[in-house]
Amino acid sequence: MTEKEKGSVLQFAPFQSAVDEGFWHRLSSLKLNKFGIDDSPIPITGFYAPCTNSRVSNHLSLIAESLPPEPSEQSSVATSLGNRNRCSVPGILYNTNTLEGFHSLDKQCLLKAEAKKIWDDIHSGKAEEDSAVLSRFLLISFADLKKWSFHYWFAFPALVLDPPATLVDLKPASQWLSLEEAESLSAACNEWRSSSVTADVPFFLVSIASNSRATIKHLKEWTSCQQDGDKFLFGFYDPCHLPTNPGWPLRNFLALICSRWNLEKVCFFCYRENRGFADLSLSLIGEALISISQGWKDPQQVPNAVGWELNRGKKVSKCISLAQSMDPIRLAVSAA
Amino acid sequence: MVLTQKLHEAFKGTVERITNPRTVSAFKEKGVLSISEFVLAGDNLVSKCPTWSWESGEPSKRKSYLPAGKQFLITRNVPCLRRAASIEDEYEAAGGEVLLDNEDNDGWLATHGNPKDNKHEEEENLPSMETLEIGKKNTIQSISSHFGGEEEEDIPDMAEYEEPDNLIETDPATLQSTYLVAQEPDDDNILRTRTYDVSITYDKYYQTPRVWLTGYDESRMLLQPELVLEDVSQDHARKTVTIEDHPHLPGKHASVHPCRHGAVMKKIIDVLMSRGVEPEVDKYLFLFLKFVASLQHISQMEAANLL
Repeated sequence: MTEKEKGSVLQFAPFQSAVDEGFWHRLSSLKLNKFGIDDSPIPITGFYAPCTNSRVSNHLSLIAESLPPEPSEQSSVATSLGNRNRCSVPGILYNTNTLEGFHSLDKQCLLKAEAKKIWDDIHSGKAEEDSAVLSRFLLISFADLKKWSFHYWFAFPALVLDPPATLVDLKPASQWLSLEEAESLSAACNEWRSSSVTADVPFFLVSIASNSRATIKHLKEWTSCQQDGDKFLFGFYDPCHLPTNPGWPLRNFLALICSRWNLEKVCFFCYRENRGFADLSLSLIGEALISISQGWKDPQQVPNAVGWELNRGKKVSKCISLAQSMDPIRLAVSAA
Repeated sequence: MVLTQKLHEAFKGTVERITNPRTVSAFKEKGVLSISEFVLAGDNLVSKCPTWSWESGEPSKRKSYLPAGKQFLITRNVPCLRRAASIEDEYEAAGGEVLLDNEDNDGWLATHGNPKDNKHEEEENLPSMETLEIGKKNTIQSISSHFGGEEEEDIPDMAEYEEPDNLIETDPATLQSTYLVAQEPDDDNILRTRTYDVSITYDKYYQTPRVWLTGYDESRMLLQPELVLEDVSQDHARKTVTIEDHPHLPGKHASVHPCRHGAVMKKIIDVLMSRGVEPEVDKYLFLFLKFVASLQHISQMEAANLL
């Protein structure tokens, strides 16, 4: 650890998006039957869960229920609140009427606007009440309903620490903790994840007392629990599976921790699962040092943000064609 | 779709409309499930394997005989590693195998928990829901998914819209991921991971659960169901595994046809009973998923560790 003491830049694995067919079906139907040419932004919801496999990261999923219900479906059942496999992430959709409109959107400006929401929620204390607002996302799209193809581009806005945080140490949680602590933390996490009240709360605080007992608390309990823990961890549901890096949601959490709680040394806990249960050898605990510049401390000044998703390493939008399942002519031909 | 298949679907739909759902248990006698047994077995699956959850699906497709919030079960993001890993050891470790012969002698291979174990251990022995390991046979280069391909001649070349470098700033804190490299690597040492959303619905006609697969390529783009069939042995694609309308979700999805599920489950249950293990109906889906995972018919997914 000593040779690492100088530290390297803490790097975060980008979030990945996955959109299922149902999302595009409902978007098309809403566009045709409800929105028409109205292209005002639509609030949508993405879903994610902690990584649950050592070989593949989890991603942000969009499904039909990510969109508002169709006019004919007002009697929709209450969405499964507290579904542990569906932690909601608030997002916004800009669906343009033309391909030109899609390409001419001011992407930097849109990203900044979302970053400002995150920044404001951090400073107003809203993020401590409802931690889901720390991971917003942005989707721009053009639905070509003549060809049944959809052009789209995701952004996961992250506030950029200036200068970047340095990583002092990062290892599997099972190595960082004693056996008793790890067992207690495992049990506490499983309890947190199985209660419908907390199952979809993606950011949390962990304090580990001197008797090795781990307790998980909500962010809003920060002021009351500073004193009691001997070890204190900032935990989040980590969609990333890599043993070498934390996932994207930690970025805005660190922004909250350093700008709102003024911490310079942070122990973070990347919570990951195996087969749906806490796995502390897959989960990571890391120590990061943050020394932000003076300008960062000013709530009026929104920091820089990054987060447009790359498409196979390139800065291009994605496109999907669903003509096979949506085009009535093709459907008629295949049914003949 | 083949005509006979279409006719059968129409027939099945009619029968489903006019018959009442099964209410009397015939689990041990026929290997089938009643509606309430399906819900019971689903609840048990969700509690033991929390990566599974109940969903309600499209409101317009809701089945009145199932609870609104428990229309079908789904687990998302099951990786399917495209590499030539031998899975036989894993099978041995999971307990023996039973070859369940059937008339057309293409032998349904079903693994089962080591029957000597008591029930608790049997559960422990179930394979993990971690990976659908896919054989090397798959042609990596054909991963066009919905992106590109001959059908999309109208879609303009996206490269010309590549954004100037100033759009995405070089941020030292962003990990440059290997899976985001621009070029498709050719050598096979690199893992290319498709993922699947696996769902289980209740098939009222056959009175058994039915498995559906929705695939995503390594950049998490939807796979055409036809490409899902690449992960299925070609002898059985479109026979055992067909592409049909999902009962609760939009679009066409690949599905393991349920016509023999009842008979096979009955055989598995008989084998268990002959070894003195009393099968419990709430464990049905565990046995069922083991059976699906071991289907020789979908041999490219034979190691599908669905639990």
